[in-house]
Amino acid sequence: MANRKIFTLFVILIALLFTACVNSNKNEASDHLDDTDMIASTKLTDENIGEMISSIPNPVEMSSLLQKSGVVYSQELLNPANNLSGYNTNFKKALNLGVYGTDLVYMNIYDRTVATLQYLRNVKDLAGDLRVGQFFDYETLNRLSESSKNIDSVLFITNSGFDKMSRYLIDQKRSNIAVLISYGTWIESMYIATNVQTIPPNKDIIYRRIAEQKVILENMTLLLNNYRKDPNFADLFNDLLDLIKAFDNVKIQHIYIPPTIQEINGSVVIIDNSRSEIFITQEMVDEIAKKVSEIRTKIIS
Amino acid sequence: MSEEILKALMQLFAIIAKQDEGLSVNERDYVHVFLKQQLNESSVKEYLTLFDNFIGGQKGDDEEVKDKVKLTSVKDSVKTLGIAKKINKTLTQKQKVVVLVRLFELVNSDKKFTPQRMAIIDTAAEVFNISREEYQAIEAFVLNNSDADFAHPEMLVIGDLANEADKLENYINSPQLEGKIIILRVPSVELYFLRYTGTNEQLLNGLPIINSRIYLFATGSVIKQPKGKPIFYTDIASTFLSDSTSINVVVKANDVTLKFPNGHIGLRNINILEQSGKMVAIMGGSGAGKTTLLNVLSGIVSPSNGNVLINGVDIHKETELVKGIVGYIPQDDLLIEELTVYENLYYNTKLIYRDLNEQEISEKVTKVLQSLGLFHIKDLKVGNPLNKKISGGQRKRLNIGLELIREPAILFVDEPTSGLSSRDSENVMELLRELAVRGKLIFVVIHQPSSEIYKMFDNVVILDEGGYQIYYGNPVEAVIYFKTLDNQINSNIGECPTCGNVNPETIFSIIESRIVDEYGRPTASRKVMPQEWNDHYRQRHKSFEAAEDYDELPEAFKKPSWFKQFKIFFARDMFSKLSNTQYLVLNFLEAPILGFLLAFIIRYIEDPTSNIYIFRANENLMPYIFMCAIVALFLGLIVSAEEIYKDRKILKRESFLNLSRSSYLFSKIGILFIISAVQAILFVLVGNSIFGIKGMYFEYWMVFFTLSAFANVLGLNISSAFNSAVTIYILIPFLIIPQMVLTGAMFSFDKINSSFGGGRDKVPIIAEIMPSRWAFEGLIVHQYKNNKFYKQFYDQNKVLSICNYKNIYYLPELKRYVENYRFRFLAKQEPHITANDLELIRNELNKENNSEFFRLHKLKFQYEDYLYQDKITFAIADSLINHINKLMEFYRDNGNYMDNVIDGRRQEMTNTPEKDREYNKLKDDYYNDFLAKFAKNQMITLYVVRLDNRLVQKIDPIYLDPQDTNKVSFRTHFMAPRKNFFGYYVDTFTFNVSMIWAFTILMYILLYYQGLKRFLDFFGDFGPIINRKLFGLKTKISKFFIKMTGI
Repeated sequence: MANRKIFTLFVILIALLFTACVNSNKNEASDHLDDTDMIASTKLTDENIGEMISSIPNPVEMSSLLQKSGVVYSQELLNPANNLSGYNTNFKKALNLGVYGTDLVYMNIYDRTVATLQYLRNVKDLAGDLRVGQFFDYETLNRLSESSKNIDSVLFITNSGFDKMSRYLIDQKRSNIAVLISYGTWIESMYIATNVQTIPPNKDIIYRRIAEQKVILENMTLLLNNYRKDPNFADLFNDLLDLIKAFDNVKIQHIYIPPTIQEINGSVVIIDNSRSEIFITQEMVDEIAKKVSEIRTKIIS
Repeated sequence: MSEEILKALMQLFAIIAKQDEGLSVNERDYVHVFLKQQLNESSVKEYLTLFDNFIGGQKGDDEEVKDKVKLTSVKDSVKTLGIAKKINKTLTQKQKVVVLVRLFELVNSDKKFTPQRMAIIDTAAEVFNISREEYQAIEAFVLNNSDADFAHPEMLVIGDLANEADKLENYINSPQLEGKIIILRVPSVELYFLRYTGTNEQLLNGLPIINSRIYLFATGSVIKQPKGKPIFYTDIASTFLSDSTSINVVVKANDVTLKFPNGHIGLRNINILEQSGKMVAIMGGSGAGKTTLLNVLSGIVSPSNGNVLINGVDIHKETELVKGIVGYIPQDDLLIEELTVYENLYYNTKLIYRDLNEQEISEKVTKVLQSLGLFHIKDLKVGNPLNKKISGGQRKRLNIGLELIREPAILFVDEPTSGLSSRDSENVMELLRELAVRGKLIFVVIHQPSSEIYKMFDNVVILDEGGYQIYYGNPVEAVIYFKTLDNQINSNIGECPTCGNVNPETIFSIIESRIVDEYGRPTASRKVMPQEWNDHYRQRHKSFEAAEDYDELPEAFKKPSWFKQFKIFFARDMFSKLSNTQYLVLNFLEAPILGFLLAFIIRYIEDPTSNIYIFRANENLMPYIFMCAIVALFLGLIVSAEEIYKDRKILKRESFLNLSRSSYLFSKIGILFIISAVQAILFVLVGNSIFGIKGMYFEYWMVFFTLSAFANVLGLNISSAFNSAVTIYILIPFLIIPQMVLTGAMFSFDKINSSFGGGRDKVPIIAEIMPSRWAFEGLIVHQYKNNKFYKQFYDQNKVLSICNYKNIYYLPELKRYVENYRFRFLAKQEPHITANDLELIRNELNKENNSEFFRLHKLKFQYEDYLYQDKITFAIADSLINHINKLMEFYRDNGNYMDNVIDGRRQEMTNTPEKDREYNKLKDDYYNDFLAKFAKNQMITLYVVRLDNRLVQKIDPIYLDPQDTNKVSFRTHFMAPRKNFFGYYVDTFTFNVSMIWAFTILMYILLYYQGLKRFLDFFGDFGPIINRKLFGLKTKISKFFIKMTGI
């Protein structure tokens, strides 16, 4: 008799414990969405932004130029892979997604495929965090990276991945993220180009390419300016102004020579004879390098 | 008697005899007769010469002697002292009493009670430590002749006492007896002496009693008169000893027959009638059914025919009425090895007596220990037969004590002497004998008793192969009976006339003697078959005439209340565990050592250049949680697996006490839970702090403990169901390995054989019954959701995850089906869309309509009714695509919004370097990257899959609430953040822990009703069939091998 009582008591206790734990306030996930407040509209249209972003040279151009110019590979230039855990905000994540993307390309071009694995993972993680992981086929890239024969494919997939990512982000009304990724990519390219350790004999080509970035810089200024309401963007923008100053004396002069028409193999071809004269000195390069370094340090820290 | 003692005795005799007038003829005769009883003829002469020498040549000159009277006396006193002291060292108290009686007898032989002689006896008695009262009693017994002197509480008179009975303290009326037989009891050593005052021939154990001689009346003795009933030892002892309180019980077995389930007959028409005060032996060759009979008589086994009545109450039908008066002492030990002698008895007593307080119990235990002669070893641990602390005889006596303490009127004892030395055997049997004398009825199954032991029995039941009863009656007569039937010479002599030995072996060699072939070799067939012996028995056997008016059976003892029993069981178990240091140390070191090893081995630093351990970067968190679950199961099982098995004998005995099984089980469970809880604390404290899991000690402990607790009860189940320790340990892997495989940690539930009830949207059914999986899932989900870092973001990330999934994976997938329709429509491919695809679209639209987000977007597709093969049109499809696009936009915008909210908070938390450091520290300490990947299921390639006509989300299970709309079903996908419980959401951790407890309760119920045992027994019935099959196979295999090897 007594044991039946105890047993009943036990059952009741368990039942009580059970019901007490039942979460009665049904907090629905959607409760967090009650007052929808969209990000501020931008002055530039998304279309403009897309065009401007696609005008930014992709990191392959710069890296392959360096490699062809005989610049020696330098691991120290790269953003250390274990910095990843410090990037907590979307802002940082987007910028460094660009940075790591460039690093990845740089390493691939210099055939350092084995070392790429960690960078590949970082890029994947950051893209995932930014909800654009679907454009980054980690599995394929990982497989391809196993052999240096596939470098072309790797570079193509990486590049097109970044392109798609940008377009998608703009489409998803997240152009700010797209801009940050592009900016990170660009700054890292600039950093690698301006911080070559040994100056190769045909440094002029590299310097010339650096000087040409003055045009891109203007686009960048426009893009960043577009989001200046955001204090983070404002910071970036202000830093960029310093870089603009460093570029002040760099001169790109278009010399117009009328085009000529020639007949080649029976078809008429118009040949553009114009060229641009570029004026850049070692001091200017050094100054640019310094500024780029500063900006880049801030980004990756 | 040893040479030395005999010498000493001669000296004492001599000293006494030469006092005063010196040795008389009578005295010398006495010595002669005495020696003749002890020795053979030649030795008698030798000792008589010795005696004469001690007397010396002083006989001749009376004058001289007279002068020296005083001197000699002093000298002799000193001598006496010396001899007595010497005797003290070698003789037991019993023997000393005998010596003293002999001394008196010597003096009495010539009635020369001079003060000198008495002074010497006095001295001897003093040195022997014989109390004054007993000394006086012995003196009175030996020296007196008048009836009045026998009116002493320690004396008993047998004779025709019709007139003088009222003057005596103890008497047995025996009208036919000529003269009187006087019995003296020496209580301190429990010895009886006998003398006879008449002149007729009375036989003591078959030997004539000489008038005025004093005989030791040993246990089992019998006095036979020419006329009248024989007087047995028990008759006399019971007059002195019988407890006035004990009731008279009569056990009557009527034609008891037992058929085993396999058709064999265990017992055939056994008839027994016995009553209190008797000790009955059940004997027989091996396999004759001795223990079976004991089990039937004691009520453990019910007979197929016939009945066993105790005072008219059927023991097998009205079990409750007789339970309290029946005690059973099995052959095996029932002791708890880790407890002391005292404690064993103490807890047993507490379980039996409800109303006694501590002191009464302690007194009772002490009394029993004293009466068992175990008091001096009461604080020794019992130990086991291999690791002996107390002797076999002491163990057996303690076992008997366990039953004695509740004072049953009938005791059933199974082979009490097996495995004991002959000395221990005798001790134990004497104890039983004494109990019988005190008024208990004792049935003893005994095998090859010695003569001494055999003679102790009042009656013997002899069984023969096949359960035939072939003899029932006096043990010594049994020898005569079988000898007579076998036509042996001297068949009328039961015991050896000179040494008094009875050889029970004779009986069995007669019963089982074999036919001899022409070469004198015994054959396999018996001379006399069991049936024939049985026929002989039946011819001789008279039916019993049992009285019909029985004493009222006492009420069964009042057992303690459920809770009290629980407390006693608990205390008993606890003390037995506490006293086992090895057990304790091992159990309590095991957990922290395992915790240390596990955590320490998998604690590593990801970054080779750094020497700072970061919890966040440790990839081994999941394996750690998994191992926690496995260790918990293991420890829980190991601790409990032998518990009940170890106690099974004690349980069998305690079933006689009718104690509550649930209180026993609860006490077991209580102790095991305490052990498991402590183990859990130690494991989690050590493991988690080394691994660096912060702020989750309670939850890990809870899960560890819960799982251990489950394993405890599971272990108790197997422990109660299986009958060998090896089986139990073999079984442990069977219980653990499926739990390991189906936690969800080793193998993804998507990737196990679908015949185990796996659905891609739900945890497979087989994993639903694995407590390890509930534990693992509970901890994973809790660790991810509720760690100090991430819990600030979880809810918002959940919204983000839902929006993201719908926008990026789910809605585009849905759209694909519609686009496919449009494509096929334009390409004129029939059918444009399958009915299944349409059903899928309808299902999913419906799901969206019921989703919690519907109240925000309120987007409902207007043409749902047209989504059938015969109704759908291109325009409808366009409209549907449009609808899906709108949904996508909604989720895109809300996702972005949520992302910004979260990011805003993150920015705010990291906007200064200090805050950023703090944020990173928090994340490093509480968050784990790899757990996050696992919980978000990021390793998969297909984020949304089609299952029948539904789409199932595979990505981010940790953010996905149960999708089943059925309110009763609690089944859902693995790692759901919360569970459905009758329409309410319950946090996964709470739910899973409760689930394991539910399993534990289920296991308890199974344990209580012995479900597993019943199940096994059910299959056990097929055992013989399987065995036969197996045996055939074995024979075939061995034949094959013999053929192969050519042996």
